[in-house]
Amino acid sequence: MTTPQAANDVPRSPAELRPLTRIVLTEEVNRTLFAEYAAHRATERGHEEIGWALLGVRTADEATVMATLPAGEHREAGSAHVRFNPLAQELGTRILRQGNRQLTMLGIVHTHPGSMRHPSDGDYRGDIEWVEGLRGREGVFAIGTADAAGNDSWMSALHVQADGALAFTWYSLQSGARNYQPLPVKNIPGADRAAPLRAVWTELETQAGRLLRLAGQLVRVQFDVIEGSTKAALVCDVPLPDQGRVIRVVMEGKDVRYLLIDGEQVQMAQFRDDRVDRGVFAMLAELCN
Amino acid sequence: MDFRPLDELERKQLTNALRGNAEQGRVLLLDRRDTSFAGSADEVPDEEVISAIRSVPCHY
Repeated sequence: MTTPQAANDVPRSPAELRPLTRIVLTEEVNRTLFAEYAAHRATERGHEEIGWALLGVRTADEATVMATLPAGEHREAGSAHVRFNPLAQELGTRILRQGNRQLTMLGIVHTHPGSMRHPSDGDYRGDIEWVEGLRGREGVFAIGTADAAGNDSWMSALHVQADGALAFTWYSLQSGARNYQPLPVKNIPGADRAAPLRAVWTELETQAGRLLRLAGQLVRVQFDVIEGSTKAALVCDVPLPDQGRVIRVVMEGKDVRYLLIDGEQVQMAQFRDDRVDRGVFAMLAELCN
Repeated sequence: MDFRPLDELERKQLTNALRGNAEQGRVLLLDRRDTSFAGSADEVPDEEVISAIRSVPCHY
């Protein structure tokens, strides 16, 4: 027997989605947002706005955030705006969706330098068009501010989360709406699935354009994060059609290495090319000989 | 075989998928290596997600 509450949790097709009544964050997502906001404020670029893209799953009237993608070092930002690095976030999204094709784009978090805890008119002009392409034609937005200390009444609101001086105030925006609506927020146990990507985000930003091109040209390209020789490494695997052989590119810092994996045998290619797509095609050409 | 309790999110996803299967006939996916639960068939198309990530507007 199905209760009405239980039926709400079943994933629905876009046409069946209702307006959001709550945003749910996994605990690691919540920790990531506060920790990276605090870390950003301590950097030389700490006066700039910063932000994150939110990925997760959308059910009937609820969205659960399961991953945060950082704006990236190559973001364009100042004290009054932030534009994320789109190539790095696209590659990050493709990597995350390898393991879960239910993950969808839910919304955006960004910060304001003062005490403006509501999205600006400029935010609205971009967001109201952008939500047309989201599930349910509705997005989730949060504004980070560093004004939480001493604001007890505000901080107890259901759509606000605070940690020390930092706060995030959560909203939804539906297609055609004239304004954002406060959105109650709740935490549940769980991971930030993008956490492993943080260790290779520099490599990911450096190679994003070439790796995306490669994934568009060759089928079954897979990405992973592995333990490298001195730190984590970003890996791109290109399966070959014959006998299970794989070209593996290992990107660790500025070092790019090419391997040919054939069962238990691993051979390292004796050439260097920092341009990953060119390197892979050079390997493929060599293997044709 | 590795047994461990599901966390709240995993349990919720499994419950939702089982409910979707029972009520609407939606497919349950199993990991081919160990038959563990690998989600349901309610996939979001790549084009939809990639289009959204590419078009994130500037924020002010």
